[in-house]
Amino acid sequence: MSKLTTGSFSIEDLKDVQITINNIVGAAKEAAEAEELGPMGPSPFPGLATYRDDWNLKLLDRYEPVITPMCDQCCYCTYGPCDLSNNKRGACGIDMAGHNGREFFLRVITGTACHAAHGRHLLDHLLETFGEDVPLDLGQSDVLTPNITITTGQSPKTLGEIKPAMEHAEEQLTQLLATIHAGQESAEIDYDSKALFSGSLDHVGMEISDIVQIAALDFPKADPEAPLIEMGIGTIDKEKPFLCVIGHNVAGVTYMMDYMEENELTDKVELGGLCCTAIDLTRYKEADRRPPYTKVVGSMSKELKIIRSGMPDVIVVDEQCVRGDIVPEAQKLNIPVIASNAKIMYGLPNRDNQDVDATIEELKSGAIPGCVILDYEKLGEISVRLAQEMHPIREAAGVREIPSDEQMKEWVDKCADCGACYLACPIELDIPEAMKFAKEGDYSYLEELHDACIGCRRCEQVCKKEIPILSVIEKASQKIIAEEKGWMRAGRGQVSDAEIRSEGLNLVMGTTPGIIAIIGCPNYSDCAKGVYYIAEEFLKRNYIVVGTGCGSMDMGMYKDENGETLYERFPGGFVSGGLVNIGSCVSNAHITGAAQKVAGIFGGRTMEGNLAEIADYVLNRVGACGLAWGAFSQKASSIGTGCNIYGIPAVLGAHSSKYRRALIAKDYDESKWKVYDARNGEEMPIPPAPEFLLTTAETWQEATPMMAKACIRPSDNNLGRSIKLTHWMELHDKYIGGLPEDWWKFIRSEADIPLAKRAALMKKLEEEQGWEIDWKRKKIISGPKIKFDVSAQPTNLKRLCKEA
Amino acid sequence: MVDTTKNTKLFTSYGVTTSKAINPDMAAKMIKKAKRPLLVVGSGILKPELLDRAVKIAQKANLPIAATGHSHVGFLDKDVDAKYINVHQLGFYLTDPNWPGIDGNGNYDMVIVLEFKKYYINQVLSGTKNFSNLKAISIGRDYIQNATMSFGNISREDHYVALDELIENL
Repeated sequence: MSKLTTGSFSIEDLKDVQITINNIVGAAKEAAEAEELGPMGPSPFPGLATYRDDWNLKLLDRYEPVITPMCDQCCYCTYGPCDLSNNKRGACGIDMAGHNGREFFLRVITGTACHAAHGRHLLDHLLETFGEDVPLDLGQSDVLTPNITITTGQSPKTLGEIKPAMEHAEEQLTQLLATIHAGQESAEIDYDSKALFSGSLDHVGMEISDIVQIAALDFPKADPEAPLIEMGIGTIDKEKPFLCVIGHNVAGVTYMMDYMEENELTDKVELGGLCCTAIDLTRYKEADRRPPYTKVVGSMSKELKIIRSGMPDVIVVDEQCVRGDIVPEAQKLNIPVIASNAKIMYGLPNRDNQDVDATIEELKSGAIPGCVILDYEKLGEISVRLAQEMHPIREAAGVREIPSDEQMKEWVDKCADCGACYLACPIELDIPEAMKFAKEGDYSYLEELHDACIGCRRCEQVCKKEIPILSVIEKASQKIIAEEKGWMRAGRGQVSDAEIRSEGLNLVMGTTPGIIAIIGCPNYSDCAKGVYYIAEEFLKRNYIVVGTGCGSMDMGMYKDENGETLYERFPGGFVSGGLVNIGSCVSNAHITGAAQKVAGIFGGRTMEGNLAEIADYVLNRVGACGLAWGAFSQKASSIGTGCNIYGIPAVLGAHSSKYRRALIAKDYDESKWKVYDARNGEEMPIPPAPEFLLTTAETWQEATPMMAKACIRPSDNNLGRSIKLTHWMELHDKYIGGLPEDWWKFIRSEADIPLAKRAALMKKLEEEQGWEIDWKRKKIISGPKIKFDVSAQPTNLKRLCKEA
Repeated sequence: MVDTTKNTKLFTSYGVTTSKAINPDMAAKMIKKAKRPLLVVGSGILKPELLDRAVKIAQKANLPIAATGHSHVGFLDKDVDAKYINVHQLGFYLTDPNWPGIDGNGNYDMVIVLEFKKYYINQVLSGTKNFSNLKAISIGRDYIQNATMSFGNISREDHYVALDELIENL
């Protein structure tokens, strides 16, 4: 490692010469390591094997990798393709389980790289723009960077001090990527251990991305009253030029907003977007809660739909969840596309070095379908001016409206009822049936498909009659699209220390039944309203519901009978019954951060370099469960895996079975359901919950009780256990029907039993389980396999036990 | 008789192995031959036409039902042995010879799957296909590649007829 350190020096005799060394690899980390440090855990700056034996293999012993391959073959190298069916080994020696472990791991490191690269881009851009000394003002918190602190042992206080954590994530990602190469790691369990490690790094990358933008771009800072933002396709004013942004990186958009403000255009141009860039543009300069003028169109599933509507006059893309067909789709409707990030350049010509007027003219004339502009000053001016100039041109050309009624009829009449669209549709929409009714003039069946349709256009790809089926569905849905208007709270940033202190006791004691994190993408297997129903159910039951990204958007798209969205009905604070929109996808780091803070601030565990102990605390004491109902991208796999290593289980939608692996425990194997009591090192039996770290559910009705059950923890006190069991059993009865089969396994004493049905349930314990009950004292005399001891200290780490 | 073996176009390819397309009478024969079969139903079963047929299949062949998703609500007032389990969890447990089953009497040698999203059940069965000797028969309206045997892709109307023929042959 280099001995050079970051800094600058001048040569006295040559007054005008200055040599600046900004970035010697490893130098920042060395400088950070040389600092005086306080309490430190055993794993600062971890490598590939650091967490393996101490934590990951312990997790994976109980939560076993469940392999569901996407293919019988391995096509990695020129030895193959090899048939690995029935867990055979291929020509290189890897077996089916190992190959699929590698496949899942590859998804996780891809997602981690996306967030880390996003963080690096933003960090470098903001350092260059604002300098190293910008303080990390993130709200009322002393613990500013829980993920960075747990991973590196460092607690950066300025933008410049973040660099060691950034370098560490990048260095370890390179090491992880190397294990994909043929002839490297082949053991499935080790790929899973590495995936978990990558997940922890992912939350470092996300944390960096979000805290630098909160600090430098004046985003809301742990603000429960962050402004409400207009949302939905129906909120876009068609009379104005519409500048539409798509992606995840807000850096370029801030220049558009600055240009609009400087030129007094905020009420003359519609600026709105999709995916996380859209969420983050509503956070820009919102720390003082100024009136918002930008809008959120919706989630990724609306990308093609908004383009097909013809409404955008210019589209600007940045990075990550951006469709690959935006240029050809936009070109059909004369919408110029500007690529503003080097990760997506679409084969377009670069116009960074060309005069602004000349570029506008080139795009306006249609000489080129779009261009790359990486110079943000130019991007800000060109995109806004171009939208203004394209608007009348496109109006005159008649391309700002969806297809005519005549065109629609022509398309519908072409349908040959072959059924190929049904077979190809990932969510099995009955398009043939809807088309059959449409031919008879009834478009209501097509309209019903709109909300469930994820806008992927696989139906169009297989249609032999070349019917633009997505456009047909959207044309039929004009009325409901016009009414697609919701409200979402602008992303508020991390949970403050004060909120943790105030709510931590309730969470640990179980009187706040749990934290439900609704995150993820929009490719739901049922309808988008599923996340709304789930959120409402838990909010009404006083769980804390936190959200990010597309999940946060979709929760705000539906209204109750009074016309109010969830964001209007429930408070934005981290409190019982609070709906906390944390922010965009990268804000997911603040969700793990909240659980980590409970362990650090409330539980008093050292955070610095101490992942295993923090995760152990969360797994045993913090009732939290994630829901990624439409987990689609590789980033979703890394976010979920990052939650898993920290002991937070996640339920995914049915599509996510395509990730190829889950982590599920055997609820019938009693040897898996034991922990140590840290007071004396004795083994203590625990109930089978959470019974998974990562799994899928078939319907939102199934997911709801699964999540309530997953909030049960070994350390629950009697009151907390009773409350959690009440919610789980009520939800099971409501959505699945009857009592859960295994409810009795969670009972340690009569005080655990839900109060409202205590006598009836005790009767069942006596009759069905053979437990002894003293009916005079209403006490359980014998029966439970698990005991309750209020001072027990459950842990999975033998080294934390006093007599270890 | 409805020919349920014709259209075996794949939703998406899972590689080398494809399930054998079968007709209802053959499916009935296989189910009758199984030593310890389990009927596994997804939430799509809650349509009345399908629910009634699932009940008849369970009753006639004396099959216990693993009711996945939220399908269990449909069986509450029916005279069948239906228990809730998550299908991903079930798929994992089916690969473990030591799993006591949903009734405590041991693992199964055959599952008969009905009314799932095709991509979801294909994923679950890709686990059992590669990591166990379990036989899986799909009697839904979609061709399920990762089952051992499956109906082909058929219309909803033909599916009802096929299920009726299956019931008749049980």
